[in-house]
Amino acid sequence: MTDENHTVDAIPAYLDGQLSPKEAERLERHLQTCESCMKELQAYRSLFNAIDEDTDPVPTPTLRNTFFAQLAAEKETEGTVSILPMPRQKPKAWGNRIWKVAASVLLLLGAYGIGSYQQRTSAAREIALLKQEELQAKQSAMLSLMENTSASKRIQGVAYIEAFEKPDADIVRALILRMQQDENTNVRLTALEALSHFGKMPLVKTAYIDALAMEKNPTIQIALIQHLVQLQEKKAIAPMKALLKKEETQPFIKEQIKKGLPQLL
Amino acid sequence: MNTNGKLLKEPTNEDLMRQVANGALDQLKVLFERHHAHVYRFLYKMCRDKMLSEDLAQEVFYKVMKYRGSYNNGNFVSWLFAIARNSLHSHFKKNGAPTEDIDTVGYRLAASAAHEEDYSHLQRALDRLAPSDKELIILNRFQEIRYAELALIVGSTEGAVKTKVSRALKKLKGFYFEAL
Amino acid sequence: MKKIMICLVGICSMFAATAQSDFSQSLDGVAWVKIETKSAIVLKTHDKATLLIQVAQKKPLPSRAKGLKLVGDGGMDNTDIGFKVVRSGSDLIVRNLRKSQKAEIFLPKTQNVSVTNTWNGNIYIEGFSGEVEANANLNGGLVMSGLSGPVTAYSLNQGITVTFDAVSKDNPIVLTTTNGAIDVSLPENTKANLELSSWNGEVYTNFDLERPEKEGLKSVSSKKVKGLLNGGGSKIKLNSTNGNIYLRKKE
Repeated sequence: MTDENHTVDAIPAYLDGQLSPKEAERLERHLQTCESCMKELQAYRSLFNAIDEDTDPVPTPTLRNTFFAQLAAEKETEGTVSILPMPRQKPKAWGNRIWKVAASVLLLLGAYGIGSYQQRTSAAREIALLKQEELQAKQSAMLSLMENTSASKRIQGVAYIEAFEKPDADIVRALILRMQQDENTNVRLTALEALSHFGKMPLVKTAYIDALAMEKNPTIQIALIQHLVQLQEKKAIAPMKALLKKEETQPFIKEQIKKGLPQLL
Repeated sequence: MNTNGKLLKEPTNEDLMRQVANGALDQLKVLFERHHAHVYRFLYKMCRDKMLSEDLAQEVFYKVMKYRGSYNNGNFVSWLFAIARNSLHSHFKKNGAPTEDIDTVGYRLAASAAHEEDYSHLQRALDRLAPSDKELIILNRFQEIRYAELALIVGSTEGAVKTKVSRALKKLKGFYFEAL
Repeated sequence: MKKIMICLVGICSMFAATAQSDFSQSLDGVAWVKIETKSAIVLKTHDKATLLIQVAQKKPLPSRAKGLKLVGDGGMDNTDIGFKVVRSGSDLIVRNLRKSQKAEIFLPKTQNVSVTNTWNGNIYIEGFSGEVEANANLNGGLVMSGLSGPVTAYSLNQGITVTFDAVSKDNPIVLTTTNGAIDVSLPENTKANLELSSWNGEVYTNFDLERPEKEGLKSVSSKKVKGLLNGGGSKIKLNSTNGNIYLRKKE
């Protein structure tokens, strides 16, 4: 009996491959003769399968965008580090302090190194740096405008994209967020058009397809269909067909889909 | 082990967090990308509220950023989930008895109906576990956090956690097959 | 005789009191007034720093509802005239709880306002210099006049008519409709960068549009017209999917 209990308890570890070869072998031998343990094994296996196959919603892009914005803000006000009270994990006070001393020494050394290095850098390099700073300033201006409560300001933020030749992924993601989540139709539409300049990016294509599956506004639907057909995006076929089936889809949208589908097939 | 090897290796979570603690804030982006989906999923599994999970996940990473100075070189994942867990607990403590505005409830119901949130059979079985058991199962089985790290998160020993997880798993199995 | 007069005045004022109901609230610290409605709303300006709602004909409460409050799907009446007014951060949310209740709302001229109609009836907006956001997401139209601030508007079925007194320099103006027409009047000397696009409709104007000419290239799509007014300036974008666009000189 005790032995049996022991065996039953070892089943999850066995399925996880956590038993030693010896223990595993012993269990396997037992399973051949014990029907109830075999049933247990099957039960755990199907439970584990269910766990493996379990899916959950994923966070919206807001999570990333907000955090990155907070991070950018933090970088500007650096130096105000708070200490988190963590009851269970006592900070190793000394270790920490030594680290900090070491870090400040490194920082000083680093500053010295940069100083002598800077004298050697060419003017061209500085200009490049300046440009980069300017671009970063523009980028943060754009990101913050896009979070404004005023729709007109958000549209202005979206339109800033014209200042970037090669926007980085953060900017593109922020635009995608506007296109997919903004409550204002005009903001979504402007973001959609701004993104069309980067239609070749897989990120943007996927975003268009996702938007088409979610979007209820016919004006935006038609613009999405137009861009996706132009991009020859075959993955758009499914959401387009889905729209075709829906009763509430406006007739002119259905017509446009019927025209567009053959170009994708 | 061979952290100083010449092979170009992905920096560990701990390496990155140390750099963050020393001012390289951008490394937080890497840590965020690695872990935010897990943190969100843990929170969602616990409270099953998308908005709340997103808000709390936000709060967790904000705390990691703000309190980077208190990172003590320990296991990063344990630290991260300890913060997540604390955030969740203090949220429920604060809002223990939900006295929500009738409007918000209306919105929420409408929103969930629109998204047709189907609670899987597994989720329903999970919900029947005591919160402390549910938490262990989610962290161990869904997030694949090992016993040693799990012990750090919940403030216990490896052996004790192992026993608790195995008991919780047994209960879960019971609930899962009971209603099938 | 005097007594009769007093009586008459009394009766008249009593009558007036039942025919029209007001609600007013301070706008101290309010950045945006956000109005949600399912029926026609007229939005006008006044010289006070308050929100004033006038309901033309207050619906009599059923006798059984005595001592009870109206509950709509937008919440509970806290104004006694079928509206719910709540503060949320620096926003003041004004919700019309009845489906068929027309109302006039007065606000200071410089107030930023957003109006969303999710059902029927036109929204009229008149005389604001603050920012205006207007959305008619189902069957209502949008009619706006005397505006001089930034405007963003969307109307699904009934189109948008706007007369601008002046055009805001710094903020874009964007008007979009799916099935209606867009009819915009601008002062003749307006400096603007225009983008007019209609998927299935036509564009008409009595302005002289300066078309930026690229060498050997014509505008790619005939559905989109880009041009400058008086050398260029504020951004104005007008979109209609299925309707026409009319751009006129303001008379």
